[in-house]
Amino acid sequence: MASSRPFRFVSELRAAFAERVRRWARKRQGDDSLPLTLEARRVYILPTRLGVAAAVLLFVMLLAGLNYENSLALMLCFLLSGLTLVSMHECHRTLAGMGVTEARGESAFAQHDGCLQLTFTNGRTIARTALEIRYEDCQSTLFSLEPAAVLPVRPVYRLGRRGRHRIERLQVWTEAPLGLFRAWSWLYLPLDVMVYPAPAGNAPLPGGHGRPRSESRVSVAGGDQEWAWLRPFQESDSPRSVAWKAYARGAPLMVAHYQTAAGAERLLDFDALTGLGTEQRLSQLTRWVLECERRLERYALRLPSRSLKAGLGPAHRRQCLEALAMYDL
Amino acid sequence: MSIPRRTIWLLLLGYLLAVLINLHHIALWCLPLALGAAIWRARVAQPLTSGKSRRWLRVGIVVLLTLAVLIAFHTLNGVQAGATLLVCMGALKLSETTARRDWYFIISASLFLLLASCLDGQALWRLPLYAAELYLICVALYALSAAPANPTPNALFRQTGKGLLTALPFALLLFLFVPRLSGSFWAVPRDDQAVTGLTDQMDPGAISQLAESNAPAARVRFVGSIPPVEQRYWRGFVLHSFDGRAWRRGMPRRETAGSLTVGGQAYSYEISMEPAPYPVLLALDLPDAPPADVDAARMTDDNVVWRSGGENASVRYHLSSHPEHRNDAPLSDTDRERDLDHYASNRNPRSIELAQALRAQSASDADFVQRSLDYLRRGGFRYTLQPPTLKRDSIDDLLFNTREGFCGHYASAFALLMRAGGVPARVVTGYFGGVWNRYGNYLLLRQSDAHAWTEVWLDGIGWQRVDPTAVVSPTQLTESAASLAGDGSTVPFIVRIEWIHDLTQAWQAANAWWQDEFVGFDSSKQERLLGWLGFKQDVTRALTFLLVASSVLWLAIVAWVLRPRAQRQQSDAVRRSWLMVERKFRQAAPARAAHEGVLDYAERVGRTRPEFASVILALARRYAQLRYGPAAEARDAELFHRAARQLRVVARRD
Repeated sequence: MASSRPFRFVSELRAAFAERVRRWARKRQGDDSLPLTLEARRVYILPTRLGVAAAVLLFVMLLAGLNYENSLALMLCFLLSGLTLVSMHECHRTLAGMGVTEARGESAFAQHDGCLQLTFTNGRTIARTALEIRYEDCQSTLFSLEPAAVLPVRPVYRLGRRGRHRIERLQVWTEAPLGLFRAWSWLYLPLDVMVYPAPAGNAPLPGGHGRPRSESRVSVAGGDQEWAWLRPFQESDSPRSVAWKAYARGAPLMVAHYQTAAGAERLLDFDALTGLGTEQRLSQLTRWVLECERRLERYALRLPSRSLKAGLGPAHRRQCLEALAMYDL
Repeated sequence: MSIPRRTIWLLLLGYLLAVLINLHHIALWCLPLALGAAIWRARVAQPLTSGKSRRWLRVGIVVLLTLAVLIAFHTLNGVQAGATLLVCMGALKLSETTARRDWYFIISASLFLLLASCLDGQALWRLPLYAAELYLICVALYALSAAPANPTPNALFRQTGKGLLTALPFALLLFLFVPRLSGSFWAVPRDDQAVTGLTDQMDPGAISQLAESNAPAARVRFVGSIPPVEQRYWRGFVLHSFDGRAWRRGMPRRETAGSLTVGGQAYSYEISMEPAPYPVLLALDLPDAPPADVDAARMTDDNVVWRSGGENASVRYHLSSHPEHRNDAPLSDTDRERDLDHYASNRNPRSIELAQALRAQSASDADFVQRSLDYLRRGGFRYTLQPPTLKRDSIDDLLFNTREGFCGHYASAFALLMRAGGVPARVVTGYFGGVWNRYGNYLLLRQSDAHAWTEVWLDGIGWQRVDPTAVVSPTQLTESAASLAGDGSTVPFIVRIEWIHDLTQAWQAANAWWQDEFVGFDSSKQERLLGWLGFKQDVTRALTFLLVASSVLWLAIVAWVLRPRAQRQQSDAVRRSWLMVERKFRQAAPARAAHEGVLDYAERVGRTRPEFASVILALARRYAQLRYGPAAEARDAELFHRAARQLRVVARRD
């Protein structure tokens, strides 16, 4: 362990320095508003580890050329140095002038990956290749922009705690064309996302009120049924629930949901979950909401601060999940 | 991270070509190793993964290969051993390349192999080879960096070419202004490749070997007048000691020159000498003083110019010479004794007898020289570069038996005759004549121009040049002189065809320029360049200034050239047509706001003028399709334009 301590010290120092640089850049460029163009002044560039290795290699070449008083060797070294510098320019150019026209965040569960949706535009004649975008330590998303392209990109994010969050900073970077330099820019976009509690817990669903719903009821076509919405087909869905008419018209496989006025209802009650902490209860309720949605069963949600009437479908689901996310915040 | 197959092929090709251009100096046994490794790597999809046992195997192979290199070259230092080792390590690395990092190692190895090749072979004809290899390696580098994307070869080659061309001016600037060191800071063994050229010993046959070589020996540029053909004797060694067969330099000479009186025309010139096996500097008969621009150059009293060390390296220097000269002072006794010594081992008795007979008939030393030359002229001697082998008493054999030989034989025989007749004589080896290159304005001395002549001491006159070969075979010298027009006797027939001759001369001139201006660009040339640019005082400061200024300028130009440019409106015509539509609706509805999309605008117009709703919406949709949809054909744009033109917006009749 003793051997790792100086190493850790160095990496801590580096992290602190990087943080300081970020703060400086933040103060320098302020908040971003859409549409946004990455001007040259906010594109930063530094050699990569490979770039440093290349510099050492070029220096050795220079020494060899000077030592042997060899013009060809020197010329080789100088040509490669020139190429390196050209690649620096190209790297910077890959990022500079790129546009962002749209940015919004999709909701996600805590500790689960969520998606952001950004639209990048390239108003220039050059192709921008090997671009990457990343939020904090999440998996980066690779994309490239052809000349005059408009491209939606979906970088992932992951947050640990429920509630409404601001995606503080996205980093977009490239190491094109030779990997010797890395040009990057920080985006401080107005990206607000709702983070639901992480679904967890294995308590059984509370019993329903009224008549239990059966699978067959879904397929029964009747005057009392009200067509509600379509959602993409999942493996677990019954083939009988597929909207075949829509499929025949060329639409993908969808499942039709019908709302019946008199369905079974489940009451998802915060207070009924005894012996658990608040967060655990919220997680359990979240899981139940998802479970009910999967089963196509109507559910009502009751929190100490707020009650939601029984319902089913995306709007109801979102309402419930947002209520859970914002509970006591 | 998967690397496309095509990229792997490019990388392997770059490595193999790097090995091939090093073939002239690496150990040949590593060629099959490299070839095998590359072919194997090209065929397998996944190379060997590294396990613990494999690692030990690998370490073992590394040690073995290093030992093999050590055995082949007796060192690991130096270009040849280093290049061989690099080839081996590259081949070994190929067996485990998977990640991008491994391939970067292969690229570095290829680049260093290219460097090693440059260090050893700077000939002009290799330049295209090097350029191609550099290009190939850079293409591979671009391809590797783009992985896992797989750009088309076309795009790769274009991008690389653009990059290298942009880098070229910068490289030239650095080449001119990076301070050159004089002398190396890390001694490396110079490779002892056989260098042909004059040696300090002349035995029969030595010159004929040189005569077969068309390799350049030196190039001479004259400042001012050019000496006539018969005076173009380029002095190399002066040989004093004769053992009956071979001539040698003899004892080391003093440095002080005798009391020489020079007169007549003086010639000053610059000589660029190719690497030669001995540290003698060629000079036109007779040089005035050792060159000032060669470190520790000196001239001995037999008017031979020496440099200290520096064999096997090319050299350039300035000299001036006076072909006419005399020496009134008497020859010192030691010199006279040495240059009269002809009794070595009591050989060549008949020649000595002949000399003594000729001497007895002569009135003076000068007369004796003349009579001896007459003997050679009338004795039925023949000039040939393939003379029969001579017996032990070589001069006797030549004069009385074979009567065939070339300059070395006749110079040797004549000097012996002189010595036997009591006239101090010595043999001089060097070059005669040369080929004038009219493209480069220089005189090219080739190894085939090698020549030997004699000098005899005549009291009151001093050392006098006598060329017995000119007497034996006047045509040989005229032919040699005819080499001014381009063909020495050894030049193959084909070169006598005029346009080929022209081409050869142009190529030689290009080579000369390459050697002088590029390969030979050193600190002194750099200083001259600075002087020409007007920086005369502080060289280092001037270079620093020029380096920084020119680099900044280049960077600015590159930044400007590479600046991101706005996308040119490709569908300008379509846009113009749409603007025409908007103009026509100007009366009917408020103009489209800057933030307003075309479709929104159409809907708005449709609301205010319902009778046009379907028309404007259709036009707007078509416009959006042409502008933002998949690539439209020119005909579509034209149809759209026609529709826009035919649109008539009539004012509402209220």
